[in-house]
Amino acid sequence: MSAAPFPNTARVDAFDKVRGAARYGADRSPPGMLHAALATATIGKGRIESIDTSAARAVPGVRLVLTHEDLASEIKPAGYLMAGGYASNGLQPMIAPEIAWRGQPIAIVVADTLPAAIEAAALVRASFAVEPIAVELSAEGTQTVVQSESQLPKPMYEDIVAGDADKAFAEAAVQVDAVFTTPAQHQNPIELVGTVAEWKDGTLIIHEGTQNAEAMRHGLARQLGLTPEQVQIVSPYCGGGFGQKNSLQIYTPLAAVAARRVDRPVKLVVPRAAVFHNSSFRPASRHRFRLGADKSGKLIAAIHETDSQSSRHDLFPTLYAETTGHMYAIDNFRGRERLVRTDTQAPGYMRAPFEHVAAFTMESCIDEMAYALGKDPVALRLANDAYADPISKKPFSSRHLAECLTRGAAMFGWDKRQMAPGSMRAPDGTQIGWGVAAGSYKAATAPAIARLTLTDQGRAIINVGVHEMGQGIRTALSNVVAAKLGIAPELVEAEIGVTGASPQHLTAGSWGTATAVPAASEAADAMLKALAELGQSDAAGRKPAELLKAAGRPSLSVEIRRKAPGHPDQIFGRLASGLPSAMGPAYPEYVSFSYIAHFVEVRIEPGTRRIRVPRVVSVVDCGRVVSPRTATSQVQGGVVWGIGAALREASEVDPRFGGFLNADIAEYVVPVNADIGSIEVGFIDKPDPRLNEVGVKGLGEVVMVGVAPAIANAIFHATGKRLRDLPIRIEHVLDKGDL
Amino acid sequence: MQPFSYSRARTAAEAVEAIAAGGQGTRFLAGGTTLYDLMKLNVEAPRRVVDVSGLDELADFDTSGESELVFGALAKMSDVASDERLIRDYPALSESLWKAASQQLRNMASLGGNLLQRTRCAYFRFGEPFQCNKRKPGSGCAAIGGIDRGHALLGGSEHCIATYPGDWAVALAAFDAVVDVLGPKGRRSIPLQELHREPGDSPDIETTLAPDELILRIRVPATDAGRASTYHKIRDRESYAFALASAAVAVAFEDGAVSEARIAIGGLATRPWRAFEAERSLIGKPLTEEAAKAAGARALEGAKPGHHNAFRIELGARTVADALMIAKARA
Ligand SMILES: Cc1cc2nc3c(=O)[nH]c(=O)nc-3n(C[C@H](O)[C@H](O)[C@H](O)COP(=O)(O)OP(=O)(O)OC[C@H]3O[C@@H](n4cnc5c(N)ncnc54)[C@H](O)[C@@H]3O)c2cc1C
Ligand code: SF4
Repeated sequence: MSAAPFPNTARVDAFDKVRGAARYGADRSPPGMLHAALATATIGKGRIESIDTSAARAVPGVRLVLTHEDLASEIKPAGYLMAGGYASNGLQPMIAPEIAWRGQPIAIVVADTLPAAIEAAALVRASFAVEPIAVELSAEGTQTVVQSESQLPKPMYEDIVAGDADKAFAEAAVQVDAVFTTPAQHQNPIELVGTVAEWKDGTLIIHEGTQNAEAMRHGLARQLGLTPEQVQIVSPYCGGGFGQKNSLQIYTPLAAVAARRVDRPVKLVVPRAAVFHNSSFRPASRHRFRLGADKSGKLIAAIHETDSQSSRHDLFPTLYAETTGHMYAIDNFRGRERLVRTDTQAPGYMRAPFEHVAAFTMESCIDEMAYALGKDPVALRLANDAYADPISKKPFSSRHLAECLTRGAAMFGWDKRQMAPGSMRAPDGTQIGWGVAAGSYKAATAPAIARLTLTDQGRAIINVGVHEMGQGIRTALSNVVAAKLGIAPELVEAEIGVTGASPQHLTAGSWGTATAVPAASEAADAMLKALAELGQSDAAGRKPAELLKAAGRPSLSVEIRRKAPGHPDQIFGRLASGLPSAMGPAYPEYVSFSYIAHFVEVRIEPGTRRIRVPRVVSVVDCGRVVSPRTATSQVQGGVVWGIGAALREASEVDPRFGGFLNADIAEYVVPVNADIGSIEVGFIDKPDPRLNEVGVKGLGEVVMVGVAPAIANAIFHATGKRLRDLPIRIEHVLDKGDL
Repeated sequence: MQPFSYSRARTAAEAVEAIAAGGQGTRFLAGGTTLYDLMKLNVEAPRRVVDVSGLDELADFDTSGESELVFGALAKMSDVASDERLIRDYPALSESLWKAASQQLRNMASLGGNLLQRTRCAYFRFGEPFQCNKRKPGSGCAAIGGIDRGHALLGGSEHCIATYPGDWAVALAAFDAVVDVLGPKGRRSIPLQELHREPGDSPDIETTLAPDELILRIRVPATDAGRASTYHKIRDRESYAFALASAAVAVAFEDGAVSEARIAIGGLATRPWRAFEAERSLIGKPLTEEAAKAAGARALEGAKPGHHNAFRIELGARTVADALMIAKARA
């Protein structure tokens, strides 16, 4: 366990990034490279009856136009990530004439220049046989699947149940029963999905920002009839993933095949509107949440029923109740999750996919319960803190939620809050609301293989399975390896995101740091041991490079394998084949979550009712903080995202057409600087030694969990209005209510 | 995007000659922030583009005149927004530019091009499969009965309810600006309020400007009411978004009563919308909060809601009311 906190070192790649020296996937332009563009379907669902590419082919500079008529036998489906495959959509477009969603690609054009490719793609004409669509949760023609009765693997997707929630709720002295809705949302990282495909001596090399190079590699091998050794993925940096880039995307095989056909490297950068329609997104959802308490304020029952948007072709399983079932000491809990098939691409994991939404429902209800009981919302949470997991009755590996709440309350000045809604006002009539909510996110762990090489020049190279997506994993790895070896962090280089050496398992679900950092730390221990075995008599106090030199060794390498507690050894087979292999929150001996408490001030102006968030205080329990600088940045970014999710972002759907209407970042409004006030961050920074040797839990996702309910609760405090549909906008508070 | 030929004009006269020679489907290019955007979306597909961004004769502006302010059509939004005299004497004009788009766009975009920016209606911008009478006359209007949260409440027709999205033209409308243009038949001046058309049954024709006419300058009559003015813009985020509702207002007082009131509203109508009735309701009376609210309600009189935009009637009224109180505080 790391006894001392880590120092606040700078991001190791900051200088490269601001100079543009960090190379992202689509930054590559190998010699002879051609450009590709996609033509997409304009119907919501149906079948291509005929497709005319003659005008496209006639555009000067066009080398190749491919449609489903060309590709049926050249590309096989890669399978859906959540069904044993590798792709974000199990349905691979352009290998059959069927159209399953609006915006699905129907042709790829390759040309000498990008303008020629774009021009030609716009000239592809198709006629379709059109079928009716159902794209909204409540639309006629959707299909509802009860998750626990579906083919999805159990016990993973069994409903979470403890005690008898229905009976306990019916008998509860105080009841809250509410319905919530949340919209479809899109990740919108700045880096578009972009791929550069290149064939060299029968090997396919793909440059593309991804969170899951290993799945891309195996998925492409499967799709194109290659061995995994014939595919290499290069993704040293990913310009933001947030779940959008967590698996093989439908575009990559198209670029690969095009490159093979023209025998030249091909670059395909997918425009924002096409990304909206073909990469993943946060599904729309609807929830009924019931919460019961006795008169003393002890929570005794919770029932969480959910309907979550899925696609026709792939079932995107949900785990909303995994958040709400384990959060407080509630003995009687029942979850029931249903999936609603609609005509879209498969939705997927967008930052805190279930947890953000689940926390919105539960933490809003907790607030409502606090008011029903006349209790302070922080006090109510503290009174119902859990000391063991209420579902499995196992202990938590660590849990410092209470400390997050009390420290956050102190930092925020919560004791000055007046409880009554509408009781705090600025002199100009602006309504002020203070809200609180808590969040949790599973502390998962994936298996990893770490190779550490040390040179007699003093450099250390750590090769381990993890991706740099801006979260700062390179900095965290440097800090940990440098601290162990007693060298400067800038001497440590991370070889990550590139296939061929250590398996590059999916980096998602906040397990990246808890997976790669302990593995790197163990590798560093192995290195220290190997150095000691070099037999230098006066080893103590000497730098590793000196020991190597003295021993006449230009370099030294060690390799370790690490898996989560409770993982069987076969997990390394899964890891090697690019399948998701993470474990958690349930481990054999305990249950592990990260926790956070958010305190939010909102101000709602009297006239035009703009809702502003001038300050937020967030205190996190993520175990040991291995990189304070990038961790703070994670929290701030997560809070910004939470503000966007609560007050701004919604992907608009016109049920007549399907697809998404505001499919660009001018019209899909994410927060801008002017929307963000002060975000004060606190870390408990207590290591969780049961989970791993460094004591880290996850951070990147828990940070946004609970922001939305904290805001909604603050709006209630300001206005007396309970708003249960996201996003909350001016129109929802225009009517000032009775206050 | 389709190929197009490009030429660069050295003088205004040359630009007009070039566009007349180019015939149908020729467009002026200034900052390109609207034109290129719509070309990339295949909504605009000019065959020829005449670049007027180098016309130095139209790049200047002068806010020091006794009788009028003069803005060259190619002056940059960012330069004009930060003009100190404008900020002091006509804050509404400066704010309408500051609150538009982003700094990067304002650095590129011209005042003349700004007037001619086109609607943000998604059904217009994103092409097939959406019916759109503006993009494809006679095809219908997908916005009616669709997602119309941002669509116009005033000045629409059964053929089109697209909002005029710009801010600057709204502020200019409040100040009785005039637009000087040059065409093959010579010069003429168009009152800004007559520049933009309501859609009626031909939403594709958006202005009274002929396709071969070049905007030279925008002139604003000097007025003391400029000092007590504001451009108040309410949007879905605090910056870099189009108006859900906006109001350009200016007021002057004599003996505590309103002697002059100017109100134009933006984001709510199919064109920059001057609210004369609302102005008149204020004259001769003290500007109280009640009077401001009543004027706001007046300004939105006749508004026709669709499915998702009714809230913007009340929001628009309150925007006007708040704007009036902000302006009053500056008097
Ligand atoms: C993401 C985004 C956000 C935006 N947000 C806002 C906002 O909040 N508020 C706002 O007001 N605007 C906003 N805009 C619009 C922006 O202000 C306009 O695009 C810009 O002002 C247009 O000026 P330009 O010089 O670039 O025009 P161009 O794109 O060059 O031209 C626009 C049109 O005007 C014609 N034209 C240009 N100059 C002349 C002339 N002298 N005579 C005759 N015709 C001419 C062109 O032929 C073309 O049809 C936004 C734009 C974008 C892309
Ligand atoms: S409102 Fe106007 S611009 Fe929008 S779809 Fe209808 S006709 Fe087209």
